[in-house]
Amino acid sequence: MTAAESVSAASEPFGEGKYVYCIIRNDRSREFGEIGIGGASRVYTVNHNDLAAVVSDTPIVIYDPTRENVLAHEFVNETVMREFTLIPMSFGTVFRSEKDVLALLKSTYQAFTDVLDKMQDKIEFGLKILWDRDKVVAAIERENDEIRRLKDEITRNAASSTYFARMQLGRLVEAAMEEASNRYVTDVHEQLKEVSAASRSNKVIGDRMILNAAFLVDRKDEKQFDEKVKAISLQYEDLLTFKYTGPWPPYNFVNIKLKLEKAT
Amino acid sequence: MGLLTNILLAPFLGPVWGARWSLDKIDRVVKEELTDDTPVKEDLMALQMKLEMGEIDDAEYVREEAAIMQRLREVRDWREKLGMSIGGGPVRVAGSEESE
Repeated sequence: MTAAESVSAASEPFGEGKYVYCIIRNDRSREFGEIGIGGASRVYTVNHNDLAAVVSDTPIVIYDPTRENVLAHEFVNETVMREFTLIPMSFGTVFRSEKDVLALLKSTYQAFTDVLDKMQDKIEFGLKILWDRDKVVAAIERENDEIRRLKDEITRNAASSTYFARMQLGRLVEAAMEEASNRYVTDVHEQLKEVSAASRSNKVIGDRMILNAAFLVDRKDEKQFDEKVKAISLQYEDLLTFKYTGPWPPYNFVNIKLKLEKAT
Repeated sequence: MGLLTNILLAPFLGPVWGARWSLDKIDRVVKEELTDDTPVKEDLMALQMKLEMGEIDDAEYVREEAAIMQRLREVRDWREKLGMSIGGGPVRVAGSEESE
């Protein structure tokens, strides 16, 4: 049987595997309701000393990162996050048994503890910035004398203007856009620096995005961070679109390399 | 895509590409492409973004998501066939004893 096939478990509706959502600090067992992945299974903790893995029962399957599955995973973490500082596990992490989950907690106890200390009362916000090329080009033409002059010239002499003049214009616009993009991004980072503990830039998605960043924020600074983001988006509202999400678990700021292997 | 691009562009990239041209190389490139899910994941993120920006509707999202999931499964199958690790599926702490 390949792992992708689902296991039929007549006696146990959800199977004996454990889907692990996150690690928290809690020295007693907890229930988080029937909100688990794969059909609202019960979400509860597996405990080892003062650490707990938040899990639900699952057949031994590979979960595709469909929106439905990802949202289920995320919803559990959001629920847990209301009360606890958590270390998120990667999507789709399934252990074969409770014993295997305990082995994880025991063998990684120190690293989990250190990271939980560091992440205490920290939350993550996502900020994506997209621009509208046409608007940015228009703004550049307004501000950049050289570009404006060259463009006017080409427009005036539409018939006779050379290929090279157009090329030259294209190059100037491209360079100015790159410069503008860097300027916007640097400014946003600068402004958010004082209200965040750390930031991380991820690869941009698609050709309209100029920033795809995550910010680590102290819970006590949440309101200030919020206000700052709103102020910045107002400042740039004619040029840029802001996609602001969160609070998230600190996905981008926890980097524990778990030594996991395939369980056969 | 990458392999195809390289083949299509081969004459232009002649000196660099040609010098290293060998069956080993092809084998490796093919393997890398079949077993790398990074581009698939990037496509999934781009699709998500399109939905968020209102460029596509729910129905289209679901349709394209299904195609992307199929590609992910294909990458996973290749990784399994070639004995590489796969994301997802049952795991345990490396070196721990067999679970019953």
